[in-house]
Amino acid sequence: MTKLGVYDLEVRYGKVPALGGVTLHLQEGERLFVSGPNGAGKSSLLKAIAGAVSSSHGRVELDGDIITGKSAEAIARYGLSMVPEGRDIFSTLTVEENLRVGTGIRADKQAIEGDISEIYDAFPILGERRHANAGALSGGQQQMLAIGRGLMTNPKLMMVDEPSLGLAPNIVDQVYDTLVALQQERGLTLLIVEQSSARAARVGGRMVLLRGGQVVGDGDAAEFAKRDLLKEAYFGQADQSKSMEEAL
Amino acid sequence: MMDAHRQNRLRALTTPVILIAILLAFVLIITATGDKSLARMAAQTLIRVTFVVGLWIFVGNSGVVSFGHAGFMAIGAYCSAWLTLRPQMKGMFLPDLPPWLASAEWPHLPATVVSGLLAALVALIVGAAILRLSGIAASIATFAFLAIVDTVYSNWEGVTGATSSVVGLDRYADEWVTLIWASVAVLAAAIYANSASGLALRATREDEVAAAASGVNMYRHRLLSLVISGFFTGVSGVLLGHSLGVLNPNSFYLGITFITLAMLVVGGIGSLSGAVIGVLVLSVLIEGLVRFERGIDIGGASFALPSGAQEILIGIIMILVLIIRPTGLTGGRELRLPAFGLRVRNSKQEPQSTN
Repeated sequence: MTKLGVYDLEVRYGKVPALGGVTLHLQEGERLFVSGPNGAGKSSLLKAIAGAVSSSHGRVELDGDIITGKSAEAIARYGLSMVPEGRDIFSTLTVEENLRVGTGIRADKQAIEGDISEIYDAFPILGERRHANAGALSGGQQQMLAIGRGLMTNPKLMMVDEPSLGLAPNIVDQVYDTLVALQQERGLTLLIVEQSSARAARVGGRMVLLRGGQVVGDGDAAEFAKRDLLKEAYFGQADQSKSMEEAL
Repeated sequence: MMDAHRQNRLRALTTPVILIAILLAFVLIITATGDKSLARMAAQTLIRVTFVVGLWIFVGNSGVVSFGHAGFMAIGAYCSAWLTLRPQMKGMFLPDLPPWLASAEWPHLPATVVSGLLAALVALIVGAAILRLSGIAASIATFAFLAIVDTVYSNWEGVTGATSSVVGLDRYADEWVTLIWASVAVLAAAIYANSASGLALRATREDEVAAAASGVNMYRHRLLSLVISGFFTGVSGVLLGHSLGVLNPNSFYLGITFITLAMLVVGGIGSLSGAVIGVLVLSVLIEGLVRFERGIDIGGASFALPSGAQEILIGIIMILVLIIRPTGLTGGRELRLPAFGLRVRNSKQEPQSTN
């Protein structure tokens, strides 16, 4: 069943096009990585889907409902959660308050306490520091908190923007292990922005390559990783998108 | 889990208890001196506490600076005058009041509550429009609101007395009455800040995009906090009228707007404790300097500051505080009781016990 459908989505910042007609589909329970160079439109894609920026053309469907043009807050109520890039946490709020912010829209209030302890189980360090100001956490802990907060709205689809940005490799492993475990537990559908195809291949899943605001490749992350190695080995900075198109 | 959370909430509610205790101590010390003018100063200070705490409910949680709250104060103050002044007085000074209002002679408490509610209603209507804006645009719009209120109340001769003052208000708002209202405001502010709406609003203060992505409707929470804020600032206006006995639109314009914002910033805009501490510290300093200006005797010799020195010194003190502590005296922290025995629960034991 198609969870998320993006059809010919365009985003412009003034006259500058950031996303030029992206179409992609995401099945329920799937894990999709979005990769591509800086400025390819990865973050714009996520923001446009989540309603944080408005699209100039095209539409987004969640479970068959058109969500294009709705406010970010309304889209969150549909069960879509976005974890923004750069660990955008509420730094003067405590860890636990950060987690509780997302619970305002939930009808199942009695499940909230259980969900919070579930997140503390997944990220024990957050439980230890639950009354600390979120701004005092380390980068990795803030990323964990951002993911935990994203889960507190009880989403069916979660989009995570570059969870590995600026983190030590072992912390990135920990973040991905937890994401994968949570996905299996909750039957989540995941869309993750990840620059490294090697990392995506290790975690496993489908991968979409963006370049210049367009989808230029779509396939198994492992295939991309192989291509990347070849590319690095033989062609240096060769046109990644072309080689991918050939590969597919 | 529930327990730890509830205990933490209880701990958060020790903040208003401490703050109210400080206010009570303040009044007790002042009344112990038996000085009438000090007692009046205490009442004025507590009125400002009510106002600034009311202001904080909106400004502190939303992060949007408001220049318009003195307008709510004016609305509350005049409403109480309409409801409580003796009908003969109203006939003489406010001839254009509708008959039902001209003949009204309400007791103090209902008049205070209704005046606060009128201010809250105006906050709801004005906020519905203004809070569609964000950032500095919203702040400027609140200033426009203040200018509108001031113009209306300065010119509506037959209803507000315009620039000639409304006199003859019952001066019942002494240090004890104002202490009660200041305490109610502190309690309400603490409950609001720790409510789901207060939490959501503080999240938008930190990051609007991330808050929206968490399903927070910023507009709705801002409007709710402005309405509660409008109520308490309206009540503070009622108290001011019934403390001075005289109402003049000038009392609710730029002077009060800026000194109260200064108190909030000096105390620390990020916390309720900052709002209360800022008012107390600056009010006491101002009173001390005013007395110094009048001259004090030390060992037979009389010292006096030149007049005007008080304003200059207060200005310098505020600048120094902000240079040394840019986030205010409290640094945005709340006064709380230490968490005796809570530490054990907060540590690793906790998550395990829940599963």
